[in-house]
Amino acid sequence: MAATGPYNYSYIFKYIIIGDMGVGKSCLLHQFTEKKFMADCPHTIGVEFGTRIIEVSGQKIKLQIWDTAGQERFRAVTRSYYRGAAGALMVYDITRRSTYNHLSSWLTDARNLTNPNTVIFLIGNKSDLDAQRDVTYEEAKQFAEENGLLYCEASAKTGENVEDAFLDTAKKIYQNIQDGSLDLNAAESGVQHKPLTGRPSNSLHTDQQANQDKCAC
Amino acid sequence: MEETISKEDVKRFEEQYNAELEKGTVSSDTQFSYAWCLIRSDNKNDILKGVLLLQGLCHSGADQRDYLYFIAEGYYKLNEYKSALRYTNRLLQIEPQNQQGVELQEKITGQMKKDGLIGLGILGGTALLFGGAAALVGLAFAGRK
Repeated sequence: MAATGPYNYSYIFKYIIIGDMGVGKSCLLHQFTEKKFMADCPHTIGVEFGTRIIEVSGQKIKLQIWDTAGQERFRAVTRSYYRGAAGALMVYDITRRSTYNHLSSWLTDARNLTNPNTVIFLIGNKSDLDAQRDVTYEEAKQFAEENGLLYCEASAKTGENVEDAFLDTAKKIYQNIQDGSLDLNAAESGVQHKPLTGRPSNSLHTDQQANQDKCAC
Repeated sequence: MEETISKEDVKRFEEQYNAELEKGTVSSDTQFSYAWCLIRSDNKNDILKGVLLLQGLCHSGADQRDYLYFIAEGYYKLNEYKSALRYTNRLLQIEPQNQQGVELQEKITGQMKKDGLIGLGILGGTALLFGGAAALVGLAFAGRK
């Protein structure tokens, strides 16, 4: 009922996925949008794009995800996609220390090119390859804590924690909207509100009200 | 899919390109970044310039597939589908499983088919128009008699 109208979601969140070449950014996106593992995936050319509609606190949210090429030579051009991202998934490969060592440079880009409220989620990918591990969970966790990042290890291959990484980022963004720290009217908040038809207001309060009504049914 | 690039970005890449050009040698990365911006433009001349810059790059090196992809995209935006196809074909020769290449190629062939149909539609419409006009003329003559 509340979901009818021109849109079947009430928000659009823009995400970017960043990190070194070959850490599995496209595979994570593919696992999240298609629930499949893409083996032998060629390196991304420039950027790729994926979407999925999720639900957070009863609100339908469309995630618009920009998956950037990790090759160094694309770095300059992919930077223009950071602007206006509400969420950034920063990925390294737990079996290759160099990809972990480069995180500070990715984080600098993410901080400089997004807004202060952008939620940054650190993902240690390829957790299925524990035998080849080159970065411990603990040290990455500490890095995440020091830099105020959300963190988990995940596997695009088995699907472990992939869903959680994307959803937890959305939950945090939604929480920022609700507590007012993310101003939707600010340019480049990375969030678009799609007011549903037949309702006079596009305020959050109305949406929550409607949602509560719906839940009571 | 919305692909936006800010004017500041374009300007920044353009300035860098021009500065290196003045010094005598443009690095392939600079040329690539600037060309990439140009292809994202709405202006046909910009897109064409971007395509030409990329063609200057794609004679050598392992980075070819990236250049081929963006050249194809540029030609697609210029509605030059045959040229666009030539480049996606070359890309898919190098990486047959490249999903981005496959998708771009499908987009191009799809557009070619659609344009073919639209062409037929226009022809059909014109025939109708002529037919109608002829009938009117016929009526006019009939009325005179």
